[in-house]
Amino acid sequence: MEKIIIKGRGVIKGVAEGEALVCPNSIAGWGGIDPATGIIKEPLNINKGKSIKDTILVMSGSKGSNGWSCYFGAARAAGSAPKGWIFTNIDSSSGVASSIMQIPTVVNFDDSQNPCQLIENGDWVKIDGDTGIVEITKKQYKEKI
Amino acid sequence: MKLTPYEESVLNGSHGRLVQVALENIIRYADVLGATELCEVTKATVFCGAHHYLNFCNTDNFHELFTKMNLGKDEIITFNQTYPNCYTQSCVSPCDQFSFDSLHQSKKYFDKNTSYLEECRKAGVTIAGSCAPYLTGWLPVKGEHFVTTESGVTAIGNSLWGAMGNSDGIEAAFWSSICGRTPLWGNHIEENRKATHHVVVEANIDHLIEWDLLGKAVGMKLPSSSIPVVDGHFKSVNFTKLAQFFTTISMSSNCELCHVSGITPEARDVSDAFKGSPTHGDWVVTNKDLQYAYDLMCDEGAQSVDFVSLGCPHYNIDLIKKAAEYVEGKKINPNVHFMIWTVYPIKAMADLNGYTRIIEEAGGKIYTSSCPTTVGNIFLDHYSGFVFDSYKQARSVKSDTDKPVFYGDMKTCIDVAVSGRWEVENRWKR
Repeated sequence: MEKIIIKGRGVIKGVAEGEALVCPNSIAGWGGIDPATGIIKEPLNINKGKSIKDTILVMSGSKGSNGWSCYFGAARAAGSAPKGWIFTNIDSSSGVASSIMQIPTVVNFDDSQNPCQLIENGDWVKIDGDTGIVEITKKQYKEKI
Repeated sequence: MKLTPYEESVLNGSHGRLVQVALENIIRYADVLGATELCEVTKATVFCGAHHYLNFCNTDNFHELFTKMNLGKDEIITFNQTYPNCYTQSCVSPCDQFSFDSLHQSKKYFDKNTSYLEECRKAGVTIAGSCAPYLTGWLPVKGEHFVTTESGVTAIGNSLWGAMGNSDGIEAAFWSSICGRTPLWGNHIEENRKATHHVVVEANIDHLIEWDLLGKAVGMKLPSSSIPVVDGHFKSVNFTKLAQFFTTISMSSNCELCHVSGITPEARDVSDAFKGSPTHGDWVVTNKDLQYAYDLMCDEGAQSVDFVSLGCPHYNIDLIKKAAEYVEGKKINPNVHFMIWTVYPIKAMADLNGYTRIIEEAGGKIYTSSCPTTVGNIFLDHYSGFVFDSYKQARSVKSDTDKPVFYGDMKTCIDVAVSGRWEVENRWKR
């Protein structure tokens, strides 16, 4: 299985890899996650009950309260942060969160390389915050690596 | 990054470590966004107080906590100043201005919160304690650059006043209030404020709850980072209704600017909102969409309730007056904690006008400076059935509890507070 390679803009340097958690409709700010565990609490989120901890978190952008970045900052303080994250399009709240989290971050992909469409929960994803390169290994193949 | 002489002098430490770190963070934030210069911020709201998310940093030393959580540094930098040209006031804190027993909080925690607020006040923040800073005169004008910790205020400021702000975040609002700068990016640039999507509203929109539901119905379909122009035949539009709408659309999307055709200043009509740029999508909002939005939020069934809360965003004096008029002569069910949330100066006006007395004689209470979800589980966990007149508050509390959460307009909420029961007939129906 060849890796799927997509490229965005690397904005926080460093390399991270892990299992993907994909939130195409983002995660609501202020109370959307439990910082202690990283578990998503947002009532209507498709990933409610799953944890962002140690994942490569893939989101379209931010959503909801301006208290968006602080919940991720609190998760970092509690040791429940993702290893790295990807935003289809950077926006101001995800920009602040990235500045605070200081985890490898890649943003702004072409429409033909939408990470929320190409990546599924459980895929193995490696991101390079220096080059903006994202390597995706689909979950049905990752066990063979 | 293109920097002014003032910004260069801040970076070389001439204005002290606090301002230096704040500007360094703003520049990192600008780099993440892809901005190449900064702009001056002259209005800010900031998030002061002993908020629960701060508990994950193991210290009660305010300045250490502030440095780690808001500045992202492992040192202790004293937060002792704000930018002189930026009027900064505080958003909600997790405590009422005076009460703590009735919110199931300890005196120790209340005092800690008060001490955190006092440190912010000494640094130059005017303590207001409101998610609705416009109620106390925080009003950026057209073209003025602002930062705020309240998402609804971002949308109100951009859309209704033509002021310029991004959602940023709690940390960045502090950075900007300290160094007076934010990235010149997004809504701070005139060119970026054109509509991207055309939303035709066929639903009947008049009452406050309908504007609240319209915010959800539009927000839940909006692609990320889009700017809708909402186009409909609206009746008796006023600031209160628009503020509710902007609060809910921003809660349910990442919308920071939403034009309303014929009403907001950058949308004299639909064509003016687009200013010659193409639409990226058009859709229609019907009564069915409003009903769907309502049914998503209001739990099914009927049961006794013990928590009824009005005011998200904080009630203005007219809404308190209307609530007092409706509750006058009624008695709140003794099992129900019935409350209205506002800001301290508006509470003073309610006292002056006798509205507080009427509400208290009925068995209710006016609280200030916070809201149920911001007070948090130490308060909410004492109750078994919740009723709100705000989509945003209902959604937030629903994240905090697995107990039933119901949602209705002000009069329905008061009726339920009196009866102590939510009935199926109380559901909003179109």
